[in-house]
Amino acid sequence: MDDSTKRLLQRLMRRIPSQMLQTILDKWAHLSREDLHSLDFTQPKWVLTEHLLALCEENGLRVKHITELEMIYIIENPNQGMWHGFQLLDAEEDAPSIELTQFKEQFKANLTELISHVSIKIKKHTDEAIWIRVAWGDNFTKPYHLKPTYVVHHLQTPYVFVTGVTSKHKPLLNQALVLATRYSSMKDAHLSGRNLTAIRDLLMRQYQQVFPTKHPKPLQEKNPVPRNPNIEKEQAENTENRLQMACEAFGDGTLPQLQKAVYKLETKFRDNSNKTLTGREEPFRGVVEFASTNLLESLRHCVSSGMASTPVTPLLSSITQKGRNYFVITDKGV
Amino acid sequence: MSLLKPFSKLPGLNTANILLVENEEQFQQKLADTVVLQEKTVNVNVRLARSLPLPMENEESRPRIDLVVFIIHLTSELSFQSAETSLKYLDPGYFQGKVCFLVTNARNVSVPPERLVSVRKLAASLHCPLLCAEDQTTEGVTTAAHRLLAILKVAAGLVPMATGLYLSTLTRCTVPSDIDQQNFE
Repeated sequence: MDDSTKRLLQRLMRRIPSQMLQTILDKWAHLSREDLHSLDFTQPKWVLTEHLLALCEENGLRVKHITELEMIYIIENPNQGMWHGFQLLDAEEDAPSIELTQFKEQFKANLTELISHVSIKIKKHTDEAIWIRVAWGDNFTKPYHLKPTYVVHHLQTPYVFVTGVTSKHKPLLNQALVLATRYSSMKDAHLSGRNLTAIRDLLMRQYQQVFPTKHPKPLQEKNPVPRNPNIEKEQAENTENRLQMACEAFGDGTLPQLQKAVYKLETKFRDNSNKTLTGREEPFRGVVEFASTNLLESLRHCVSSGMASTPVTPLLSSITQKGRNYFVITDKGV
Repeated sequence: MSLLKPFSKLPGLNTANILLVENEEQFQQKLADTVVLQEKTVNVNVRLARSLPLPMENEESRPRIDLVVFIIHLTSELSFQSAETSLKYLDPGYFQGKVCFLVTNARNVSVPPERLVSVRKLAASLHCPLLCAEDQTTEGVTTAAHRLLAILKVAAGLVPMATGLYLSTLTRCTVPSDIDQQNFE
């Protein structure tokens, strides 16, 4: 094993938390049963890493095996790094009938045509998602494995999720994906976050949605608190209405975990009390950013508790309705 | 304007009704539970609202409100403004011992002192008592409930020889004339 492979394995071992180590090594299945048993998982991690390095050398494992290990780890824990959502546009006739082997061949062929030194690994996960790991090199250097790009695509859907791609490689990746999936182009869905499951759920509308009804009945509470007959709420209807509107805009139950919503303003300044800034021709540029550990949950609470006025402004509800969290607002609308 | 009137309905036997008005709707629930639990001799009904005016639909079923308590969280300017606008919907008859102000976070360092001063001035101008409460611990909630019950029983006429007006002359908030120059050294 050469130095760069050893470094890759050491870096990877540092990343994987100790509790998951055993399960991931089991899944990897490149070490024999006796080898795995010989590893003592109660030792400190650096001791374990040395031991593992020795075992890999014995078994003659190479870079491609280590990258497989990394891929298994990332597939198990996808919610790290920054994921970006993309949408494929204008499907051609045979796009819905693409199946796995065809996609794999096409993608590998396209990408290796564009860049000769790439390392590509494609894997199909149990939930029908295709995971692709790409390590980029260029015409003169070998692929650099310490900064790989991961792509997740669900076949027959027009959505692609990418993490770790630089602006240099993005157009190449886009082109390879577009050709392999038989669409005509790919655009940025303007949705990004740390949590892959959240982004996927939001784009593919897989969270619990609430639809407006003509005859609203109050939303069933999960644990109805026994009401004391002596205590009565005067404005209970208002509270229910607010809760209903909040859930219509953002969803019910556990919401996808978004961290940020960014609104880039390119509107003219409008405030009659400030004469110097109002009435200028150029737009007043500003950026409004909402950040939270779970943004949709916070916004839903703001609306249901009355902090944000109802009906919910379309600026906020378009986060869920359009599935994006980056908006550019001009004077003519979003 | 739909004013809330103090004497337009008949009182209930051994009953006292309190209305808690709070913009944030957080503290009032805890307070309501404690008040109802604490009081054993008198039948206490608690009505919770976010602001006044109260909805017309409940007009018929609503009992006579003996005490209106405005809960103001000093950490939020909106809380104070909401209470101020709600005051307009009370009949002037309430201000003779049937209104009380309850503030929370009065000891909080991050709260601008001017806000407490404005609340005090408001309470003093309306001749109402101003109570300070601590809403994060159970003892704080119990103490606040206890004090409110004491005022409520007088306002509902359940304490012999004491009326709301009489009590309010003793408990009403006063503001020293140099309050604007006061600094807490």
